[in-house]
Amino acid sequence: MFELLQQSLFSGLLVGSVYALVALGIALTFGAMKIINLAHGELVLLAAYMAYVIESRTGWNPYAAIPLAFAVTALVSIAIYLLIERIREHRELNSLILTFAIGVILTNAILLVFASDVRSTNSPLLQDAVSLGSVYAMNSELLAFVVSLLVMAGLWWWLRNSWYGRAVRAVSSNRDASMLMGIDPRRVELAAFIVAGILASVAGVALYTMSVVQPALGPALTVKAFVVTVLAGVGSIPGVFCAALLLGVTEAMTVTLASSALQELVGMVLFLLVLFFMPNGLFGARARRG
Amino acid sequence: MIRRTFLLSTLLATSLAVAAPALAEEIAIGAHMPLTGSLARSGQAFNEGMQVAIKVFNESQSKHKIKVTVIDDESQPAKAVTAVEKLNSDGAAAIIGGYGSNIVGPASDTSNRLGKVYITGGAVSDELVARGNTHFFRINNNAGYQRGVEGLMQELKPNGISIVASTREAPALLAKGLEESLTKLGFKVTLHPFDPAITDFKPIINKVKLQDKSEIIFMSAYENDYVGIIRAAKVLKPQVKAIVGAWSLATPKMYSDFPDLMQNVIGTTFLPFPVEVKDEEGKKFAAVYKEMFGKEIEYASTLAFVETMVLSEALARAADAGTLKSGGLLAEMKKTDRPSPLGRITFNAVGDNPNFALSMGQHRDGKIPLVSPAASATGKIAYPALPW
Amino acid sequence: MMRNLPAAALLVAALAIPLVFGGNGYIMGLMVSGLIVAGVALAWALLGNLGGMVSFGHAAFFGVGAYTSAILSAKAGLPVPLSLLAGALGAALCSLVMLPALRLSGPYFALAILAYAHIFKILATELSSITGGSAGFQRFPTLPTIAGIDFSSRTGSYALLVVMVALCALVYRAVKRSHVGTALRAMAESEDATRVVGVNATLLKSWMLLLSAFITGLFGAMNAHIINFLEPDYAFSGNWSVLPIIAAIFGGYRTILGPVAGAVLIYLFDQIIAKELLPVGHQILLGLLLAGMILVAPNGLFGLFQTRRKGAPHAAA
Repeated sequence: MFELLQQSLFSGLLVGSVYALVALGIALTFGAMKIINLAHGELVLLAAYMAYVIESRTGWNPYAAIPLAFAVTALVSIAIYLLIERIREHRELNSLILTFAIGVILTNAILLVFASDVRSTNSPLLQDAVSLGSVYAMNSELLAFVVSLLVMAGLWWWLRNSWYGRAVRAVSSNRDASMLMGIDPRRVELAAFIVAGILASVAGVALYTMSVVQPALGPALTVKAFVVTVLAGVGSIPGVFCAALLLGVTEAMTVTLASSALQELVGMVLFLLVLFFMPNGLFGARARRG
Repeated sequence: MIRRTFLLSTLLATSLAVAAPALAEEIAIGAHMPLTGSLARSGQAFNEGMQVAIKVFNESQSKHKIKVTVIDDESQPAKAVTAVEKLNSDGAAAIIGGYGSNIVGPASDTSNRLGKVYITGGAVSDELVARGNTHFFRINNNAGYQRGVEGLMQELKPNGISIVASTREAPALLAKGLEESLTKLGFKVTLHPFDPAITDFKPIINKVKLQDKSEIIFMSAYENDYVGIIRAAKVLKPQVKAIVGAWSLATPKMYSDFPDLMQNVIGTTFLPFPVEVKDEEGKKFAAVYKEMFGKEIEYASTLAFVETMVLSEALARAADAGTLKSGGLLAEMKKTDRPSPLGRITFNAVGDNPNFALSMGQHRDGKIPLVSPAASATGKIAYPALPW
Repeated sequence: MMRNLPAAALLVAALAIPLVFGGNGYIMGLMVSGLIVAGVALAWALLGNLGGMVSFGHAAFFGVGAYTSAILSAKAGLPVPLSLLAGALGAALCSLVMLPALRLSGPYFALAILAYAHIFKILATELSSITGGSAGFQRFPTLPTIAGIDFSSRTGSYALLVVMVALCALVYRAVKRSHVGTALRAMAESEDATRVVGVNATLLKSWMLLLSAFITGLFGAMNAHIINFLEPDYAFSGNWSVLPIIAAIFGGYRTILGPVAGAVLIYLFDQIIAKELLPVGHQILLGLLLAGMILVAPNGLFGLFQTRRKGAPHAAA
C-alpha cells in the first residue's frame, strides 16, 4: 500500500505542475482585469498543436516549438484582449460569454485544420521511463515539472521586479489608485494577456509531450485551470502552484484509494467545498467576493 | 492537411461520379455519422470507409451508381434522428447508421418507423436487437468482440486479467460483458473503470502492478486512452505478459502514429496487415483507401466499408429485380450471404450478424499478423511479449 | 396593442408552421428540437434577467428532469404527464443543493453551476443500477395519446411544446410584473439599497433559481420522452447549457420573447444553413455569431427593437 501511495503522490505532483502552468494564465488575467478568459484552454491546445506541427514536420524535439507556439498564442491572446476591450456594459459577465464564444471558434478551427485525430509526441527520449528511488515517471513529465518551476520562478521575478510586473500587481489590487499613479491600465492589461500567452505556449508544449491532445480538449483544460484558481485564491503564484499540486495529488489518490471513475467527481466536490466554505481559497491573501 | 486531402478526394470522387456514363441508374442513399463531437474520431474513419466502398462498388460495375449524402449527427441522438428524417424526405433508399449504440438506437427507431432499411457497423449493444425492429441490420455486435477476446484468453491461460475500461458506452459495455464471461470461464478478473477525462494512468497501472498482479492488461477504451495506458505501463513495467485491447488498436495507423508504444500489443481486428493475398476484397479496400486518403486502413473504416458494400449489393439486386421502389430491399438484405474482410455476413431474424467474431492481431515491427484464433492465424503469437 | 405585436406574430408563425411543413418530418423535427432549446433558453434568461445570475450549467437541471421522468415512468409506472411534472420537480429539488452558490458573484456562480452539472453527470454514470449507467436507458414510454391527440407524433410533440413554451413565457411575464419582479429589478440596480428597504435578496434569488430549474427540468423531461432514450453524456451534455445561452443572447436575454425566437432561429440556422456550408465544425459560425452579438448588440435582436422604441419620443406606451 505504501508503495502505491508513494507513486500516486509522485504522479499527482507531476500532473499538478502542468495544471499550474495552465492555471497561471487564467489567474494572471483574472488578477489584472477581473476577467476569466474561458478561451485559455484553447490557447494551450493551440500551442500543443504547434508542437505537433514542428515535431511531425521537422522531427525536432517538441520543445523547439515554443517560439512558434508563443507567437501564435500571443497573437491570439492580444486579439482576445482587444475584443474584450470593446465590451461596453456588464463587462464581467459579457466577457465570460465572449471568451467562451472565442473558445468555441478556436476549438472548431483546430478541428477544421487538424481533424479529430489524437496527437502526442513520438520522441523516444521524452517517453522513456525514469526512476527516482522507487517511483517512476516519463522523462517528459519530469522535464515538464522542472520547466513549470522555472516558468513560475520567472513569473514571480517579473511581477516583483519589472516595471510592468509591478504595474500588473498595482492594477490588480487597486485599479483606480494605480491610474492616479500614472499607470495606464490598458497597457498593463495587454501585458498581462501577452504573458498569459507565453504561459499558455509553454503549457501546451508540455502537455503535448506528456499527454494526448485532441481538438475537444480545450474546455476541460479551462475548467481544470479555473478549479485550481479557485482553490488557490487570488493573488499569489506559490498559491496557484500549491493548489495545482494539491488537485493533482487528490486526483491520483482518488484513483489509488477508491476508483478512477470517481477522479473528476472528487475534483469537482473539492472545488465546490472550497468555493463555499473558504471564499479566499486555500492560499489566498485577499477576499475575492466583491 | 489531412482535411484538405479529404475534401480534395471527396471532390474528386464527386467529379468522377458526374463524369461517369449517364446510363447507370443512380440510387441515392443517406448516412449519418458523428463527424464532430465526442465520437468524431470514429465517425470520420467510418465516413472514409464508406466513401471508399461507394467508389469501389461504383467502379466494379456500370449498371448502378450509388450516391451517398452524409449528415453530421454531431455525436448527438436528436441530431441523428433529424438526420434520418431529412434523408428520408430527400428520398434516400436506405440509411447507413453512424457510430455508438446510444445514437444508432433512436435513429434506427425513426428509420424503422419510416420503413427505411437501416444498417450499422458501429452499434454493439444487445438492446438494439431486442426491440424487434424489422428494418434494422448490423454487421457487428458485442458478442463478437467478447468471443474474440475470450478465445485469446483461453489460449493464453493467464493467471489473472486486469480490465482497464473507459466509462463511455461501448467500452463499458464490453468490459462488463467480459468481466462476467471471463469470470465464468474461471479467470481471476479485476475491473478498473476510469473517467474518460483521465490522462495520467500511472495510479491505475500501479494498482495492476502491486495489487492485481495480473498477467494480462486488457484495455477497453479509445485511441487516446490506449496511448496513456501503454505509456503508464511502459514507465511502471508491471509484471504482465501481454497488453491486449479492443477496437482501433491493432491498426497500421496506430503503429505509424505511435511506433514506440505498439510493439507486441494485441487488439481485435479482422485483417492482417499487410493484407494477405487470399482476401481480394480487403486488399482492394486497402489500396483504394490509401489512394483516396493517403493513409493505411483503420479499424472503424473497415466496418464502414463492409456495411456499405453489403447494402450496395442488396440495393443493386433489388434494382435489378425492379423491386427497389416497392420495398424489395428488405427482402434482399435478408438474403445477404457473402464473405467479407470481416468473415461471413448473414442476418438473422432480428437483423444481427451471428457470424461476427473477431480475430486478434499483434503489432510486430509495423506488421500485424493475426495470432488468434488458431484457425485464422497468419502468424505465431509472441507471448510473453511487451512493448518494452 | 402595439406592445403585443411581436408575441402575436410569433403565435401566428407557430400556428402556420405545422400547416405548411406538417408533412415534412425533418422540418418538424428541427422545430421540436428548437423549441426544447427555446424552453431552456427562457429558463436561463429568467435566471439571468430577474436573478442577475449567469449559469453555465443548466444541463444539470435538464438531465435531472430527463432521468427523473424516464425512470419514474418506466420503473414506477407513473403516467407520463405526471412523470413530466415529477421531472420538473426533481430538477427544482436538485437546485436546492445549489443554494449555497447564490452567495457567489457572477463568474464564480456560473462556474459553480457548471461543476454541479459535471457532478450530476458522473453520478448518472456511476449509479448504473438506477440509471443504466453509460450504456443508457432506452425502454420507457413515449408521450401518450390524450383526447385523440398523439403527442408522440411530430406534430403532436410540436403542439405540446408550443403550448408549454407559451405557458412558461406567461409565468415568466407574471413574475416579472409582480412585486417580486419589481424588487428583483431594484436589486439589480443596487443590492444594498434594497436590503435597507427590507427585501430579502437571497430568498428572492433562490425562488428564481428554483423556478428556472423547474422549467428546465420540464423541458428535459419532455425531450427524454420525445427522443425516447437517455445516457449521461447526452442528458447532461454541455450543449444544453451552451445553446440556450447563445439563443438567449442572440434574441435578447432581457426580453421574454427574445430567447424563444432566438432559440428557434439559431437552431434552424445551425442545422439548415451552417451545416450545409461547413459539414464539420459548423459550430464555428455559432461562435462567431455569439461573439459578434456580445460586441455589437449585447441586448440581442429584441433588445435592439425595444431600445429603438423607447428612444422614440413619447411612444405608444
